[in-house]
Amino acid sequence: MRINGVTIADTFAEAFTMRVARIVITGRTAKWAREAAIKLTGFATSVIGCKCEAGIERELPPADTPDGRPGISVLFFTMDKQSLPEQLIVRLGQTVLTCPTTACFDGLPDVPDRLTVGRALRVFGDGFQASKVIGGKRYWRLPVMEGEFLIEETFGMLKGVGGGNFLILAEDADAALAAAEAAVDAMTSLPGVILPFPGGVVRSGSKVGSKRYKNMVATTNDPFDPTLRAITESEVPKGVNSVLEIVLDGTDAQSIAAAMRAGIPAACRPGVTTITAANFGGKLGPHHFHLRKILA
Amino acid sequence: MSEIVTLSLAERPAQVLIADCIAADRFAGLDAKAIAELPVIHGGRPETLGTFFKVRGGRSGVVRVEGELTRVAAIGAGMAGGELTIDGSVGRDLGLAMSGGRIDVRGHAGDNVGGARPGAARGMTGGEIIVRGNVGDEAGARMRRGMIAGSVVVLGKTGPGAGRFLKRGSIVALGPIDRPATFRYACTYRPPHVGLLLRYLRSRAGVAVADRYVAGRYERYSGDLAEVGKGEILQWVGE
Repeated sequence: MRINGVTIADTFAEAFTMRVARIVITGRTAKWAREAAIKLTGFATSVIGCKCEAGIERELPPADTPDGRPGISVLFFTMDKQSLPEQLIVRLGQTVLTCPTTACFDGLPDVPDRLTVGRALRVFGDGFQASKVIGGKRYWRLPVMEGEFLIEETFGMLKGVGGGNFLILAEDADAALAAAEAAVDAMTSLPGVILPFPGGVVRSGSKVGSKRYKNMVATTNDPFDPTLRAITESEVPKGVNSVLEIVLDGTDAQSIAAAMRAGIPAACRPGVTTITAANFGGKLGPHHFHLRKILA
Repeated sequence: MSEIVTLSLAERPAQVLIADCIAADRFAGLDAKAIAELPVIHGGRPETLGTFFKVRGGRSGVVRVEGELTRVAAIGAGMAGGELTIDGSVGRDLGLAMSGGRIDVRGHAGDNVGGARPGAARGMTGGEIIVRGNVGDEAGARMRRGMIAGSVVVLGKTGPGAGRFLKRGSIVALGPIDRPATFRYACTYRPPHVGLLLRYLRSRAGVAVADRYVAGRYERYSGDLAEVGKGEILQWVGE
């Protein structure tokens, strides 16, 4: 299969089940909602080192937010259901609570699994906090120096999908970067998906474990490192000198497949030779995204 | 079982009619005949609801009351669930000690809306009361947590004594209000929950609330300082 002369490898991306919450942050202006979201989703590229993966899903116009102010929707992922509330409590408490003018709402209201994140954060109010039930949902009002911080008591938790991916193999680093940027542009703001890495792109794809260091959980994906082509069991085709990866986390497999369907053709640009994907032989992750099936 | 129970005032009471049997959750288990036989007190004497109201439908938690009801007191007292719509103005003690459900009054309401029974320490503890007109004295008196978890929103003029003995909870006054002396000014700000609450009333109950209130500035008065002082009166002061 070829798109614009770019080979689509006959392989699949292997992804894992993660736990996901959707956080809606509003602010007096879009700027302040964004400031909080950027801090909340900072240092959240990979569970390997950050314990969570998070990113901005999309910006929300005032008409689409609970309090009628400009907002941002964030998707937040962890590997298990215990660590999701732990991470949310720590991060919301340090980033959204601290950010001027923001309020924080649950973006998965119909989900039965509830995390009592707002309830945990209420104690910052030192007994001066107050609760309100509006339309059957409980909110906490925390007095802060600026005025008041409002946060919903509970947040919904879903089983999501983490680690959807594809690799862009290009003739040089500039072509790989331009293709990755085009793919990210095509996938930005699609519902139910985030790209947790910087600018949506990761250059340091990893393999499980290490050939040399016992304590390393993940090390460089040497089969795809062009500089090691001559000395490893390389998967870098001749003529490829740079590889970039796009990683996708989503609320469900369909959202990831839809984003890949939008992103991969956008990456098929001059200078790109092949689009492929990372997997572990299909034994580790339950979700398999076959590139050719998705694009068919 | 019918979709809705309708009570139409057939005989205008000559004196105050205490009809604390009218509660949406109570009607969910009763047929029209049993509803008509519920006890009321008219001018201090026992009577039945059917003496004054024509009852249509039964076994439904959705109730509509029609007629000139300014002499009818204690509607929705102790109500714990369901929906009660009142087409017109009602007398005092509406939603007395209510704990759940929703009351929507299309007209005015008398004194002690969502208040406490005589001598009781606790008033309304849950549910929602929407009064589209004016309310009388002592709205939410002794309210601990009630009316949208402790919020009384008054779109018209609020009578004196509102929020007396309030422990927690909020009175949001969009119009003029006589504040008790036991409330103390804190600050002027944009309370985030008020915007949420007013937007909810607008979308869920179809109450016309202008944007200047939704995103407006409010003076916050803490009280009742004769109690724990964790309640508040929020008075709208401008955009």
